[in-house]
Amino acid sequence: MTNHAHRAARFLKNEERAAWHDKTLWMVRKKRDLMALDVPDWEELREQASQIKRHSLSKLDDYLVQFEEQAINNGAQVHWASTAGKLNEIVYQIIKENNASRIVKSKSMLTEECGLNPFLEKRGIEIIDTDLGERIIQLKREPPSHIVMPAIHIKKEEISELFHRELNSEEGNTDPTYLAATARLHLRQKFIEAEVAITGVNFAVAENGAVVVCTNEGNADMGVHAAPIQIHCMGIEKVIPRLSDLAVFTRLLARSATGQPITTYTSHYLNPKPGGQMHIIIVDNGRSELIGKEDYRDSLKCIRCGACMNTCPVYRRSGGHSYHYVIPGPIGSILAPHSNSKEYEDLPFASSLCGSCSDVCPVKIDIHGQLYRWRQDLSQQGARSPIKKGIMKVSGKILASDKMYDWSGKAARWCIKYLPRVLIYNRLNTWGRERELPEVPRESFKEWYNKNFREGDKNGQK
Amino acid sequence: MDRNKILLNIQRSRIKPVNLPEPFCSAEKEGDKTILFKEMLMQTGGDCIEVNSTEELNSLLDNNFRGATDLRRNELFKNFLSYSNKDSLERLKTVILEGQFGVAENGSIWIDDSNFPNRLIPFITEELVLCLDAKQIVRNMHEAYLRTDNAISGFGVFISGPSKTSDIEQHLVYGAHGAKKLIVVISHETNLV
Repeated sequence: MTNHAHRAARFLKNEERAAWHDKTLWMVRKKRDLMALDVPDWEELREQASQIKRHSLSKLDDYLVQFEEQAINNGAQVHWASTAGKLNEIVYQIIKENNASRIVKSKSMLTEECGLNPFLEKRGIEIIDTDLGERIIQLKREPPSHIVMPAIHIKKEEISELFHRELNSEEGNTDPTYLAATARLHLRQKFIEAEVAITGVNFAVAENGAVVVCTNEGNADMGVHAAPIQIHCMGIEKVIPRLSDLAVFTRLLARSATGQPITTYTSHYLNPKPGGQMHIIIVDNGRSELIGKEDYRDSLKCIRCGACMNTCPVYRRSGGHSYHYVIPGPIGSILAPHSNSKEYEDLPFASSLCGSCSDVCPVKIDIHGQLYRWRQDLSQQGARSPIKKGIMKVSGKILASDKMYDWSGKAARWCIKYLPRVLIYNRLNTWGRERELPEVPRESFKEWYNKNFREGDKNGQK
Repeated sequence: MDRNKILLNIQRSRIKPVNLPEPFCSAEKEGDKTILFKEMLMQTGGDCIEVNSTEELNSLLDNNFRGATDLRRNELFKNFLSYSNKDSLERLKTVILEGQFGVAENGSIWIDDSNFPNRLIPFITEELVLCLDAKQIVRNMHEAYLRTDNAISGFGVFISGPSKTSDIEQHLVYGAHGAKKLIVVISHETNLV
């Protein structure tokens, strides 16, 4: 069985690429910081966002019903899907009923989660992802490695080769402007021909039934307005009460995600175009159950900005694919075990618990707190390996005893100092892999303290 | 059936009610709104031209955007009413639209169904020119949504700069799928066209 650590090791084999990945995402994180500092009351804005989401979750049934009513009034058709399979079926039905075969789709982590593309492909329907990053990984037959920058793990040389093979672009031309222009031409044709356009949903407004989608490329709009039929797929947690709440979220989203003041296009879809159809599919797929779990409920506040990934020291150095869940990084690691606690039991351990994710989260999810909580729950379910269990047991004994603790510290210092290298830097000592152990101090802190403050009282004051 | 299942499931795990916070308006950033707007517009890759009268605006559009499709007035919409003709829309080079209002904090401009005869137009055109009355610039998104007065119907969009992508090694490229260029003409006079 491979786990996160194994896959991370595979990613790190290409040192140069791993270093580039780390540096690039950190650059995005820094852009986010500049944006956050530039907004007066940024922290209050985060608090607002958090409270609006918590409120919405506490009355989600009411808001979903209100949203449905408004959307139907506007002229949209609303469908409900309790599972991933149901979502796929509904989309398939709409396509069939309209005899459509040319489908374009803009970014939607939900349809990724539900496996919509493979489902339709099995039934002979080709679906074209139109976000440039998503088109790249679709042609490469890879899953996304980041929720906002899905192709962040791929270098331009590979894209050039891929486009040469698939889209007939000039061989060896790695200029990003040229490559993007190639994709523009290729996808323009797909937009013009499209019969059905599928999108994800960033926000759904209960009071007026609006579906809001944010993109930089304009691919959601090109699809939606070109195709006679538009389908918007949303998780139940996307509903917010009021139009005025959108102000809070549109101010936070792009600043947190890519360090832009707002996405290029913030589109509000309320009704179908003349002669067109507008479908909204509301998907549960385990979310309503998650609402009931007090410890983990807050993870449903997520607005999918990806800031927790960009800042995460583990994500940056292990790559999105090492998480093997549809949403990588810190937020993915608390959502994944909820969907399957056995398959994803390694993910909550793929963190240093440094807390940076919680600090940048625009809706103030206590991400590292939840990771810690998951570790305890999963350990109780027996997620830890027998070796780790054994180590923990022994450590517990040693740490509980004054004498054993002193002795083991001394022993360790002696060993590192005097044992030959081959004995210390062996396969069992993972801490000695790829790095030198620190120089051993002459004495422990306790010894130093006793020597210097011995005559003081218990609090160590002289 | 799925509808009731989902709603019941949510009700079953009903959590303690949490209050909805009052609509929020954060402290305002110092400075002139038009200057802030221009700064942000440039940052997002848009171009800005300022004019001081209707005559100046018209002659600028005439000189700089000769041959552009001017859709600032509804009378011009009828030529574009046919929805099906995507191919003719595909040939659009430059389109001029009236922007309803701008947002200083992010350089975006709001337009909706009343500003174009076909929703594809602002996206499919190679180059988009938006005309904006300097008085119609609000400070931030809170004011912007207030400004829509809850009357959004059909389709509306905030546009901030030209279409862009950074999906290839984080290199910024303009003109991913939508307009490659966005030019905003800010008018400092009351009565526009």
